[in-house]
Amino acid sequence: MDRVDIAIIGSGPAGISAAVNAKIRNKSFLLFGRKELSHKVNISKEIRNYIGFPSVSGKELNERFAAHLRDMEIEITEETITGIYNMGKYFMLLADQKVFEATTVIIAIGAETVKPLPGERELLGKGVSYCATCDGNLFKGKTIAVFCDNESHEHEVNYLAELAKKVYYFPNFASTLSMPNVENTKSKIAKILGNSCVSDIELKDGTKITVDGVFFLKQAVAADVLLGKLETEGGHIVTDRRMQTNIKGCFACGDCTGAPYQIAKSVGEGNIALHSAISYLAEMGKKDDEFEDK
Amino acid sequence: MITYATDETFKELISGEHAMVDFFGVNCGPCKILTKVLEDIEEELPFANIVKVDTDKCPKTSEEFHIVGIPDVYFFKNGSVVFHSTGMLDADEIKEKLAEIMY
Repeated sequence: MDRVDIAIIGSGPAGISAAVNAKIRNKSFLLFGRKELSHKVNISKEIRNYIGFPSVSGKELNERFAAHLRDMEIEITEETITGIYNMGKYFMLLADQKVFEATTVIIAIGAETVKPLPGERELLGKGVSYCATCDGNLFKGKTIAVFCDNESHEHEVNYLAELAKKVYYFPNFASTLSMPNVENTKSKIAKILGNSCVSDIELKDGTKITVDGVFFLKQAVAADVLLGKLETEGGHIVTDRRMQTNIKGCFACGDCTGAPYQIAKSVGEGNIALHSAISYLAEMGKKDDEFEDK
Repeated sequence: MITYATDETFKELISGEHAMVDFFGVNCGPCKILTKVLEDIEEELPFANIVKVDTDKCPKTSEEFHIVGIPDVYFFKNGSVVFHSTGMLDADEIKEKLAEIMY
C-alpha cells in the first residue's frame, strides 16, 4: 500500500474534523475508525452547546457527521490500529496483520482508554501482553489469565485456550465461552504481581492466583502504548497549541488531549491538528528538495 | 548482516565481538515492523552482526532466555549481554546501541 500524507486515528468529532479539512486541502489520508463514528456522541441524549444546533440528539448529530463524510466521499477504514511506530521520516501503523504507512499521524482516539491496573504497565513484555497472536505461542502448556472487554475479541481467547494448559478468564461482558481448560471467573483482576516477570494476579476479593502470564484483550489501547515514548500526563496526550505532541510529525486532538470533553473543542482541535500536519508536510517537502539540490 | 539462528547455531552466532539478537514470531505484527527496520539498518551498517531467532523454531534458546513477550531484543558485547529490551525499538535507538557494541 502507498504511503499517505496523513493517517487519522479515530472517527469521533476530532478525527472527522481533521478528515474533512484534509479532503478540502487535497491531501492523501486514511481515516481509521468505525461505521458508528463515535459511540459516545451516538448515545448522548441532548447536546445544547454545539453552535447552529440549539438542541440536537447525539444520534442526529452523528448522522449529520456521517452525511458530511458521505457528501465529501470520505471513506472510513474499519481497522483498529494497535501500534504506531516512528520510523524517523514516516510512521508505520499496525492493524492486526496489516501494515499502513503515513508521513504524519493525527491521534484522535478519545478518552475511553481504561486506566491500567497496578503492575500492568510495569510487567508489560514480562508476562503481560496485549497481543494474543504475538505472544500466545510463548505460553504453550502454561497457566494464564485473560481479560477481554468485548465479544469481537473472544476468538483470541479461544486461540489462547488451545495453547495454554489453564485459562482463568475475565470477560467484561456476558460470555458463553465454554472450554474444558477455561475457568470463567466472576471476580475482577485488581493487580498483577511479580518482580522480574508475572508470578500471580490478585483479584478484587483478595484471592491470589498463580499464573505465568496475563493477556489484556482490549478495544482501546492507551496512547503511550499505541506509540512508544509519546508524552502523556494523567492518561492524556500532552500537546502544544498546534496540537503537536513530543514526537515530530505526530499530532493529537479531541478528548485524548484532556478535558473539557466537548464536541466543539474536539472539532476545533481536529482542525488545528490537520493544519499543523500540513505545515509539517510542507517543511518535510522543503527539506527533501534541499537535499536533492545538493 | 542478518542471520537466522537455530537452537544449534545460536551460541556460535553470538560468540563474536558483538551481536544484536531479535527474538521474533512469524505471526507477530510488531516483529514484522522490526524486521523491516533491521533490513534498512543492514543496508546502512553491513558489518553489524544481527541474529534473528524465530521463537517457534528455537524453543530451547527462547526458553533459556525466558522469552515471554516479542519482539525481545538483546545486545551482546564479547559474549555478554549489555542491553536488553522487550517491545519495539526505533531505528535510531538500535543504531545507537549497535554503535556502542561495535566500536
